[in-house]
Amino acid sequence: METKDAYGETTLVVEAEQLAEACRHLRDEQGFDFLSDISATDYLGWATKGVSGYIGTTSGRDLNAPSTQGLGRLPQLRPPRRFSVSYHLLALRAGAERVRVQVWLDDGESVPSVVSLWPTADWHEREAWDLMGIRFDGHPNLVRILMDDDWEGHPLRKDYPIGGEPVRFSSAE
Amino acid sequence: MAIAPERPRIYEGTRIPAPTPSVLEVPEELRDSDDILQVNFGPNHPSTHGVLRLVVDLSGEEVVGLRAVIGYLHTGFEKNMEQKTWWKGITYPERIDYVSFQTNELVFVLAIEKLLALEVPEKATWMRMLLCELNRIHSHLVWLATAALEIGAISMFWYCFRERDQILDLSEMVCGARMHTRYFQAGGLAEDIPSGFFPECRKFVERMPKAVDDYEGLVDRNQIWLGRTVGIGLLSAEDAIAMGQSGPVLRGSGVDWDLRKQQPYLAYDEVDFGVPLRQGGDVYDRYRVRMEEMRESTRIVDQCLDRLDEMEGRPWIADDRKVVLPPREELHTSMESLIHHFKIVTEGYRVPEGEVYVVVESPRGELGCYVVSDGGPKPWRVKFRAPSFAATAAAPTLSRGALVADLIAIIGSLDGLMGEVDR
Amino acid sequence: MAIERKRKTRLADYGLQSERLLWPTKGPIAKGPGVFEREVESLEDALGLSTLAKAVAWAQTKSMWPDTFGLACCAIEMMSIVSSRYDIARFGMEAFRSSPRQADLLIVSGRVVHKMAAPLRQVYDQMLEPKWVIAMGACASSGGMFNNYTVLQGVDKIVPVDIHVPGCPPRPEALIEGIIRLHEKVQAGVPPAYDIRGVAS
Repeated sequence: METKDAYGETTLVVEAEQLAEACRHLRDEQGFDFLSDISATDYLGWATKGVSGYIGTTSGRDLNAPSTQGLGRLPQLRPPRRFSVSYHLLALRAGAERVRVQVWLDDGESVPSVVSLWPTADWHEREAWDLMGIRFDGHPNLVRILMDDDWEGHPLRKDYPIGGEPVRFSSAE
Repeated sequence: MAIAPERPRIYEGTRIPAPTPSVLEVPEELRDSDDILQVNFGPNHPSTHGVLRLVVDLSGEEVVGLRAVIGYLHTGFEKNMEQKTWWKGITYPERIDYVSFQTNELVFVLAIEKLLALEVPEKATWMRMLLCELNRIHSHLVWLATAALEIGAISMFWYCFRERDQILDLSEMVCGARMHTRYFQAGGLAEDIPSGFFPECRKFVERMPKAVDDYEGLVDRNQIWLGRTVGIGLLSAEDAIAMGQSGPVLRGSGVDWDLRKQQPYLAYDEVDFGVPLRQGGDVYDRYRVRMEEMRESTRIVDQCLDRLDEMEGRPWIADDRKVVLPPREELHTSMESLIHHFKIVTEGYRVPEGEVYVVVESPRGELGCYVVSDGGPKPWRVKFRAPSFAATAAAPTLSRGALVADLIAIIGSLDGLMGEVDR
Repeated sequence: MAIERKRKTRLADYGLQSERLLWPTKGPIAKGPGVFEREVESLEDALGLSTLAKAVAWAQTKSMWPDTFGLACCAIEMMSIVSSRYDIARFGMEAFRSSPRQADLLIVSGRVVHKMAAPLRQVYDQMLEPKWVIAMGACASSGGMFNNYTVLQGVDKIVPVDIHVPGCPPRPEALIEGIIRLHEKVQAGVPPAYDIRGVAS
């Protein structure tokens, strides 16, 4: 377990096995009784876009597609695994302390569900399952919530295409 | 051991359904009887505040089973915003909570500014506060109009929309568009505040309290309204916190929590306003909280106007040329400005790497924005924490023992907005 | 018996100021209606039913009741045309019917996502003819700013649309302009979109 402090926010990085214990401790002993949000992030392709031509790398930017400017420099963070699940907690007392509990996992791994601690996590975890494909062990009803029931794939993953239609200009035809 | 102040006991124990908190299951003894009718309050329904689908099990008139199905407005905001630069992406959050649009812009822009560590000039801060409070009044007006319409007080709709049109006139005066104004920019405001706005806003501030008096005169002591809202949809403080409720729903249940006071952002610690609090936890209490909030918001707007009057001629956006467009006059003389302008418009400014979670008090509660940046011109991940998401999940908790007509009142009082819920 | 007459292929032929084509001028549909339809048309002309058709069109126009199909932000602007400032009651349309069986006009206001496409089509099917559809806003007309995996790129992929109203969201006056143009179309005798484009275009 490690603690990061950046931009005035505290992040606790825990392993998936320690998550239930850590959350229970935070809720009961530290008083974080409000679960604000559960966000899942997919780091596939992080730091591979290449750095802008100014610093010089192999894959820079594509001049034919604007706004594909690469990064100024490669990001410092090296994601240990593909997905991160962040639990944003709030203590409802003077001072409004917030903390973020972060778990890293790979595709196919699962995280214990915190529905028994904060019932509001029900829909947040369903959304993370639906859009990112992260399994929560112990969730009573882990089914799709935002997409159609028979949708295939997890749309917010980085290897899922944005979809839509190419824009056709009538003058081009 | 949570350090919590004494809160009133609205009911004993918890009413959160188990095992699934968001699904009220038909009780065992009724499950096999023939009396259960499953009704679908489909996505196209006049009373469900947008495209919400409720699958309701009825035993006579009483709701014994309830399940909310959402996703009929899932627009893929978060994925779309990953494809656009930071600047262009500001257009998207407005459409998430489409009734208090300025608040969504604010939370995203605050997140960008937090990552950039950008200093926003005072004038912009106060103007943002003014517009967000106008948006709060706007949101509550639309809520009152539609909730009252659903309960049956149809004429409230026309009264509320009269003031709502005045607010949108003010919006149009400032930004050019009635809704979805896209006025906030990373660093301040997109344009200077046009002259003539402040007198019009003052006129509105004078009219608004009388308008709220009008609304209260129509429904507050009305026996039918009281019969339809008092004692309906009870929610205790513990259940509210456990189900992630915030905003008027939480304050109606006796929890004194308002992010504008507890975690002040913009300049809320410099204005004087009250936070309405009610102890009953029913539909009537939530209605009263929102009515009082309209009055308090008008007070805040008044104070913002006083402060903004002193700031005539001050800058409305930060000076950082790597992020903010240079003023147009400079483009004719300075080569650097031209280059900056070009880079910002075509490639977009780069936001330093990091992750932030910024929260504001939207009219519905705690609206959060979690942004992950990889140091590039586009966001890596943007996630919006919508208060209506939690509110709609809590609908089964509030509907224990409710009748069908009460269900409509309860869903109305939760003020769920499907654009937010589904994103 | 069949009186040959010039097929009306443009909106301008109906007396409206527009250059748009109503009926394709090439391809199998351009050959025009079949023998039976032509004979019926000629019969109607001979019997002077056109005055009755005009009266019916007038009645349809003056009380075209919309269906409550508000989806997203455009729905809020659609609600404001009912409000007293942009009063749509002067057109006889303030009665927004919740039941599609009682509605004539479907104003699709807001982004239609994949999950909502089936309910939309179902609502459209439940409406009785004649029925018209207005695609309000950029999202209903073409997908708007959301070109992605979930938003339908234009509601005319599943229902035939008579009028597209651009805007994000369109001002209430813009929506009323769209409604008035629809009224002009109907009064001029232009058939509803399902007759022109086929039931689902």
